[in-house]
Amino acid sequence: MEHLQTSPTLKPGETFEQQKKKFDRWWFLVFGVILLIIILVFLEPDPYQRIVLFVSDGIGVTVYTTLVSFVLVLIFGLIGGLGRLSKNRIINGLATVYVEVVRGIPLLVQLLFWYFAFPSVIKNFGSTLGIESLANYRADPLLMAILGLTFCYSAYMSEVYRAGIQSISRGQMEAARSLGMSYVQAMRFVILPQALRVILPPVGNEFITLLKDSSLVSVVAVADMTRRGREFMAANFIPVQTWLMIALLYLVLTLVSARIVNWIEKKTRLER
Amino acid sequence: MEPIIHIKDVHKYFGRVQALRGVSLDINKGEVVVIIGPSGSGKSTLLRCINRLEEFDHGQIIVDNIPLDSAENINLVRTEVGMVFQQFNLFPHLSVLDNLTLAQKAVRKRSKKEAEEIAFQLLKKVGIPEKANVFPLQLSGGQQQRVAIARALAMNPKIMLFDEPTSALDPEMIQEVLDVMLDLAKEGMTMVVVSHEMGFARAAANRAILMDEGLIVEEATPDILFTNPTQERTKLFLSKILD
Repeated sequence: MEHLQTSPTLKPGETFEQQKKKFDRWWFLVFGVILLIIILVFLEPDPYQRIVLFVSDGIGVTVYTTLVSFVLVLIFGLIGGLGRLSKNRIINGLATVYVEVVRGIPLLVQLLFWYFAFPSVIKNFGSTLGIESLANYRADPLLMAILGLTFCYSAYMSEVYRAGIQSISRGQMEAARSLGMSYVQAMRFVILPQALRVILPPVGNEFITLLKDSSLVSVVAVADMTRRGREFMAANFIPVQTWLMIALLYLVLTLVSARIVNWIEKKTRLER
Repeated sequence: MEPIIHIKDVHKYFGRVQALRGVSLDINKGEVVVIIGPSGSGKSTLLRCINRLEEFDHGQIIVDNIPLDSAENINLVRTEVGMVFQQFNLFPHLSVLDNLTLAQKAVRKRSKKEAEEIAFQLLKKVGIPEKANVFPLQLSGGQQQRVAIARALAMNPKIMLFDEPTSALDPEMIQEVLDVMLDLAKEGMTMVVVSHEMGFARAAANRAILMDEGLIVEEATPDILFTNPTQERTKLFLSKILD
């Protein structure tokens, strides 16, 4: 998962203030792709306009699935990352096993597990114990997909958090603790604000990867962009135009995300 | 009078290496104690045991009648004991003013207004009131260390610990930091200072201590320790640092 080298770098003699105000030229790439979509839709309404209209609800599902999962990933990843740093052997062991197991299993397999296997386990459990509500459990596809994405990406994200927190010098924690702050206060006010700046590029990268990997939920009955594309293709037999448009739509989403990450990175950069 | 810091037979291991081999030391209220010694002698470790940045394996330390035995007591002691580090350890993401007010608000539960008033007074005291809204990394080393002293003082500590406060500074900035420390000593602050600044020790310290290999080798007034030590180890060490 390499990081695209379009993040802000200073030119010789340029100050951060100047750089903050400077327009990010990579937006032109975003506008270019959007323009291409508009041209296709207006010049060739059949099939391109039909495709866009057909998959438009899928765009919403993709964005929703990604955003909800990502917010959860930010929270659970932090818990996992702190667990990995814990001196308590049990907590540390649990966090390490979680990370190692989850990142050793393909995301697609995990999603299939959550959608097909997990509800089945619950049902068997319910009927064995005679609990009616569990025996009749029916998995909501979107919920299971978000659960699967969150479970997997939280493991990756906990490693990102861990690396970020470890990159902050020990003296920062010591200074905070020597002022009487508790561990939680020191983390919240001193360590995390610095660590978050450090990990912003990899976190942005995780977001973009998650956005793309969310296409995998199409195999577990979630009507996202990819699934809607497959449905359109099945009905119309025009694979080239269909997948070109789907690809362009994903590209707009990922390129816009990259620009937003870049913008946040510039805004939060420390003055040195 | 009860000593404000009571250290009794403290041992500390780093893995198999024994950093402290039974150190006992009593420090009275208002006393200024300077600790010297070669690197690896355990002087910084001893200092860091006083506010439990370092756990020790055996012995007892009582600070202001509070034994360092529970997490609650450790936090209590830490609010009474200010610490100044060699590398300053200012919070780089916060302005100088926020560096000074953060712990006041979070730990002492002071209002923003009250905390800022105290912060401005202290910045005046250390001679850089005009730098309140600057970020630490835009300051010189000497200025950063003075901010770090002010940050510790903002908690109204009864004791100040200094861990080689001038060792990371350019020579021309050492005096501005020592001046602040001298003022503090004159006001009657209890201070434990790990430093090889002889001038400061002679001007401000009641006692100087030489540590080596995890033990206190010799302890006397600075004038006697620096000019007329009884121990061979002290003479050897002084001859090296005076060269």
